[in-house]
Amino acid sequence: MPTYQLTVNGRLRHVDAEPDTPLLWILRDALGLTGTKFGCGQGVCGSCTIHLDGQAVKSCQTRLKDVAEHTIITVEGLSKDGSHPIQKAWLAEDVAQCGYCQPGMIMTAAALLKHKAHPTDGDIDGAFAGHICRCGTYPRIRKAVKRAAGGAK
Amino acid sequence: MTNRRDFLRVTGAVGAGLVLGLHLDAKSKAGTAQFRPNAFLALRPDGTVCISVPKTEMGQGVRTSLPLIVAEELDLDWSRIEVVTALPGPEFKAMQTGGSTSVSSTWTPLRKAGAAAREMLKAAAAAQWNIGVDQCRTENGFVLGPRGRKLSYGHLAQAAAKQPVPKDPMLKQPADYRLLGKRTPRFDGPAIVTGKAVFGLDVRRPGQRFAAVLRCPVPGGQPRAWDETKGLAVQGVKAVVKVPTGLAVVADSTWAAFKGREALATSTTWDEGVGKDFSTLALEAKMRAALMGPADEARRVGDAEKALAAATNVLEAEYAFPYQAHATVEPMNATVHIQGEGVETWTGSQSPNEVQERTAAAVGLKTEQSKVNVTLLGGGFGRRLGTDFSTEAALVAKAAGGGPIQVVWDREDDFRHDLHHPATLHRMRAGLDGSGAISAWAHRIAGPSILRSWMGGQKSPDQTSAEAGGALDIPYAIPAITVDFAEVEAPTPLGWLRAVEIVPNVFARECFLDEVAHATGKDPLQLRLDLLGDQDIVKFGQDEADLRRLKKVLQVATGKAGWGRKLTAGRGLGLACHAYDCRTYVAQVAEVSVVKGRLRIHKVTCAVDCGLVVNPWGLEAQVEGGIAFGLSALFTQITWEQGRTVQTGFQDFPILRLPDMPAVEIHVVLSREAPSGMGEPPVPLAIPAVLNAIFAATGKRIRRVPLDGESLT
Repeated sequence: MPTYQLTVNGRLRHVDAEPDTPLLWILRDALGLTGTKFGCGQGVCGSCTIHLDGQAVKSCQTRLKDVAEHTIITVEGLSKDGSHPIQKAWLAEDVAQCGYCQPGMIMTAAALLKHKAHPTDGDIDGAFAGHICRCGTYPRIRKAVKRAAGGAK
Repeated sequence: MTNRRDFLRVTGAVGAGLVLGLHLDAKSKAGTAQFRPNAFLALRPDGTVCISVPKTEMGQGVRTSLPLIVAEELDLDWSRIEVVTALPGPEFKAMQTGGSTSVSSTWTPLRKAGAAAREMLKAAAAAQWNIGVDQCRTENGFVLGPRGRKLSYGHLAQAAAKQPVPKDPMLKQPADYRLLGKRTPRFDGPAIVTGKAVFGLDVRRPGQRFAAVLRCPVPGGQPRAWDETKGLAVQGVKAVVKVPTGLAVVADSTWAAFKGREALATSTTWDEGVGKDFSTLALEAKMRAALMGPADEARRVGDAEKALAAATNVLEAEYAFPYQAHATVEPMNATVHIQGEGVETWTGSQSPNEVQERTAAAVGLKTEQSKVNVTLLGGGFGRRLGTDFSTEAALVAKAAGGGPIQVVWDREDDFRHDLHHPATLHRMRAGLDGSGAISAWAHRIAGPSILRSWMGGQKSPDQTSAEAGGALDIPYAIPAITVDFAEVEAPTPLGWLRAVEIVPNVFARECFLDEVAHATGKDPLQLRLDLLGDQDIVKFGQDEADLRRLKKVLQVATGKAGWGRKLTAGRGLGLACHAYDCRTYVAQVAEVSVVKGRLRIHKVTCAVDCGLVVNPWGLEAQVEGGIAFGLSALFTQITWEQGRTVQTGFQDFPILRLPDMPAVEIHVVLSREAPSGMGEPPVPLAIPAVLNAIFAATGKRIRRVPLDGESLT
């Protein structure tokens, strides 16, 4: 099996795996980063969302061979201590119910704010259209994103 | 009945501080010789407090709400609380979590435990200060005495443990509550937002392997022939073993297990079993026939058939609700390690005690040799009341041998082998007298029985009432009522889905009542208020609903939603209400628009009376989430062809997403009644409120779920 070099949450990691292995399973099974969740494996629920070079991508649809030499951030690496504005807003609005889909939501929210400091409702709709929360935390997700953005402008 | 003498006892070892064991199992026999505490409260000498929660956390907030109840009576410092989920066993026998009962079933014992500990701490402080107990009070983790005297709970814990346990400690009055009724954030929030929260799939044990099971697409089918070398040829695959549910591919990673299973599938042929011809079309024909055939009576008031025959006018309609999937975002999974004379399981389960027993039995061990660690659940909604996935994992671990194995279901496994909610058809009839008043109401439900499937194919004496909830407890005063259930067989395994049969039954009931209102030229709100009449209480067997509370939520929801106001063309308001299980009173008003055939659900206004509110944030989350859950079922369905589900994932099961989530406005009717339950009650009203609003907006009466886009054009 080939060896790949990845930069995950600021650390250089070496992984031996088949080139077509989804990044999701590299993170969860090889690197022990279980904060990134498996929901569908088909790119339709958003639970496995991570940042690849600052963009929110679905790690179940991202192959190992395509991410070597790129910068990967998972929910564990979003901040050292839960102090990212999105994480703080999530707690302030008490967003999570079961919590399973939330790391993916948080990664999408963080990427959205990076690209658009004051997203509109339409921007929020667009960013989260690829996510599923079966518990229905949607109203609070919207509030938390706006809170982190310091209100919509 | 709980044995009062044994309700509370000091159970901690010397030096452990004040450890109280309390008994929460309402079903246990009184007078047992041995004290079996099934919840613990430990005040440690260092000032920290550990509370064990004997219920499963699945997003409904029990790891926050149950500790809050204790903390309130005990005047704890909330920041020094540690919450642990209990381990099932002889101490914790009633961990099953469902039916929106966690708070209501523990409300009194948890308060008494907190109050008892508070009194013991006060007594210990009083002894130390050599004053009367009545001169002491408690506040935020301290006992306070006269002239500014103050001792921390940690300091007093050892001495308090030597005090007698009060049998009937005085409970606080709601006016004195500091924590209950205030917004408290979820205890697990910080772990969730940092990715540290551990769900079943996140369990990692030393030497752990991963397995995927190749199952027949038709539930109950068996592999006839296979070539295990196809699976073994995949890099990372260690073994292929036969288990009762199929062929397990064991590998050193989840992905290798999935790839190995895919390769094995190409060589496998199936005996699809008795379910192989099952289809939605055939089932629907059988259900339609059953609407006209014999049935088991669930409720009877007067003689509805006679009243229908005598009616001036009879309205009749058929309502249809499909099979549904739980579709938790975390697929089913369990990790099992068999070691010598013991088996240890890590899984997200709503039935931890059953997992303990059944895992042990599956691998030939005794219950006491089985340990179950309940993780957080990535959604429950009733799916994880089932133990099929944990038992399967135990059988895989046994067949494969060696260390711990995590059996992972993928999304298709989860849809195909769910314990589905079954389809139903409803024949609704209303007799009207010469003045247009309802003289008779007949609700026939036809469909498979969830309870029979749950009981392994046996008919339970409770079957009819279990399938008729929401229909038999119709709260309206109608002179003649008949509600019955005509069972139709289906070969697929069935289970409980959040709010269960009440969802389809209340959908049919509340929409058909709306039809009657429009047919008789009455306002749907006024018709409901008229039918609730002057009665205060209505009884259904053992249960009784308080109609004053139902009328109040109806008035609040409609008042806040602006019921009766003029709306632009294509816009409408729809109403539905119920007394959920005769415990929680809910009314919802949906505001929708239909423009060029496109439905938009703008807002749902919900009024609720669930008794005293433990945590408003938790209540609001359950209302918002319950409405999202209910609305999803307006668009999703499971259909069957050739014995298998047509739907295999989220791509063909359109759960409501953020852009389509309506605004939700919540109004809580303040109550001094004991708390009832909030997980399920908001769910069943979302569909009828929206469909009634669609009628108001368009004049189109939708009687079939899921909503077919074409029906609105």
